[in-house]
Amino acid sequence: MRLAAVNGQAAALGLCAGMTLADARARCPDLATARHDPLRVTRELERLAGAMIAFTPLVALDPPDGLVLDITGCAHLFGGERALVDAVRTLAGYTVRTALADNAAAARALARFGADVRDVRALPVAALELDADGQAGLRRAGLATLGDLAARPMAGLAARFGEVAVSRLRAILGEAGSPITPLRPAEPIRLETRFPEPLARTDDALDVIEELLAQASQRMEERQLGGRRFLVVLYRSDNVRRRLAVDTGQPVREPAAVMRLLRERIDTLSDPLDPGFGFDAIALAVLRVEHLPSRQIMLEGHREGQADTLAALVDRLGVRLGQERVQRLAFCDRHLPERAQALVPAATERVPPWPAPDDRPPRPLLLLDPPQPVDVIAGVPDSPPQRFRWRGRLHEVRLAEGPERIGAEWWRRRGGHVPGHAGETRDYYRIEDALGRRYWIFRHGLFTEKPDPRWYLHGLFA
Amino acid sequence: MFHFNAPVPTPGSAQDPPLASLPRLARGQLHEVHASADDWASALFFALVAVEAQAPRPLLLLRVRKDKARAGSVVMPPCGEGWLNLGLDPARLVIVDAKDDAGMLRAGLDAAREGGLGAVLMESWGNLREYDLVSSRRLILAAERSGIPVVLLRGDADPCASAAHTRWTVASAPSVPLDGHAPGHPALRVELTRRRGGPAGQCWRLEWSEEHGVFRPAPLEELVVSEAERPAPPSGAVAVLPAVRERAPLRRTA
Repeated sequence: MRLAAVNGQAAALGLCAGMTLADARARCPDLATARHDPLRVTRELERLAGAMIAFTPLVALDPPDGLVLDITGCAHLFGGERALVDAVRTLAGYTVRTALADNAAAARALARFGADVRDVRALPVAALELDADGQAGLRRAGLATLGDLAARPMAGLAARFGEVAVSRLRAILGEAGSPITPLRPAEPIRLETRFPEPLARTDDALDVIEELLAQASQRMEERQLGGRRFLVVLYRSDNVRRRLAVDTGQPVREPAAVMRLLRERIDTLSDPLDPGFGFDAIALAVLRVEHLPSRQIMLEGHREGQADTLAALVDRLGVRLGQERVQRLAFCDRHLPERAQALVPAATERVPPWPAPDDRPPRPLLLLDPPQPVDVIAGVPDSPPQRFRWRGRLHEVRLAEGPERIGAEWWRRRGGHVPGHAGETRDYYRIEDALGRRYWIFRHGLFTEKPDPRWYLHGLFA
Repeated sequence: MFHFNAPVPTPGSAQDPPLASLPRLARGQLHEVHASADDWASALFFALVAVEAQAPRPLLLLRVRKDKARAGSVVMPPCGEGWLNLGLDPARLVIVDAKDDAGMLRAGLDAAREGGLGAVLMESWGNLREYDLVSSRRLILAAERSGIPVVLLRGDADPCASAAHTRWTVASAPSVPLDGHAPGHPALRVELTRRRGGPAGQCWRLEWSEEHGVFRPAPLEELVVSEAERPAPPSGAVAVLPAVRERAPLRRTA
């Protein structure tokens, strides 16, 4: 195993990329290492490239770990080149080496090989990035810098070290162009239809929207995308704009699915979609897209379709009722029973599978939220209730099991580690009344913690 | 589609009953389950176990949650760990909170029309004005087309005229105590109060068999708890019941 990259501290200790891990450990026994993940490095580089759009529209990747920014005509916007470089360094957030030069190849060579040189002619010959043989040959010929090379006839250089050496040298010296291929931000999916005459009927407008969605779907299909957020803007002839936005839980392309959501949205509008004197134009934008590969139609597969219909139903109900009203039950690793689960929106959150039940006492089927205070007659200190009154009705306890003692989450309280400040311990009992109803009841606090602890019903067993 | 062969299991045949004799909530039909608020967990459990839902498909639970909840109102969220205890997977559950009864019935209708669900369960409380012959018929047509069962749970409600296939009344039943006077496995008293195109009035006492994960019918006679079995009413506040399991409290203060 070898080091792929080191930080500033490690470099100060004499470690460098390419060194074997054993050597590095020998120099620095308490070296902290993490596995090199080229894929994530690439992703991070792409993210940085995206962020650099703030400085210039022309950003190119320089794999594996560089970015080239064409700042022609951009520096004055940031108060000069120096200020621009400072801003780029701040935004990058990493330890970076920067260099400014007249062309991309020179900037790259200066950043990577020119630790404290400003002139490309003073760069070492390593900046040509030839193979080991080529570099050894140059060194043996007594050529140390690019300036030495540039003074010689190019033909001899090409004959000895190949065409690559000459082309790289000419690029760095600026004699040949070194074009970059900037990243192009993806073209947003935005469609518009203008009408010669205002469109006076809502149904016609919906037909037009469907047509736009079909075109958008085609474009998304070409790019293997699906939309998560769609926005329709209706321009009325009296200069009023109506906006209709829908969100989906899964990326979708099918015009019919989006149309259903839009109709649902129109139904829930507080004031209906009034065409007035007619719509002049209708625009559709897909504001959020995600990768959605074309799906192969399977001969036997119906399960895929089922997942789709559920997602579509969740979306529709979410549009009608609000996304926070369509929920799933998710497990939370918390100590108190009411905190051990949470209702999360079904459209946006994935619910991981629940852990297998362990051998602790059973939990009820339904919780009562909030726990219901009840009047209880029970033995002191640790006996289950004998009878309790809930909603004005008296229940005789026939069977009881417990207590299951659940402590407060003292580690989440300020000063909870101090004895006496941990919060109240709960003693849970599973009880059954004379009519066969089973309840989960708890005493909030031990008698050692407070003088008169209250009792609460916290759940119903089947 | 389904038959009740042996409506009332006799005590002798309770050991090894034919499965068809157990109450089922058949697919593609509308069922009503009546229960009181105290028996709500039992009613929900009965609906979840008896409903003929296809295994990995999600279950849709529709509830009504008003925007402005009254002070002191109780919400009864399902407890995922309790579901696991009874062999139900809480990850299958999708909970939809409608704003009012009409919205809940409409969402239920939409859900029943879509295939892809295991079952649609609707929770309602009290007088359900929007639910009548027409709306129940709509639900039935949707359920028949998609082939999924639709269950309407009605809490603290009087039965009203509807087109539902079956109507049940579910209540908790005293369980068979475990060691040390602990409450036993879930036990229910289920009555089929109405059934379209067939006799009704059958009554079951069902006990949950944890080992097999199914209901087992038990003799109805045990429903009546004799006075002798009942613990004597406690005489004072400090009387200690023998109803505690004799073991150390489970200490879970981490």
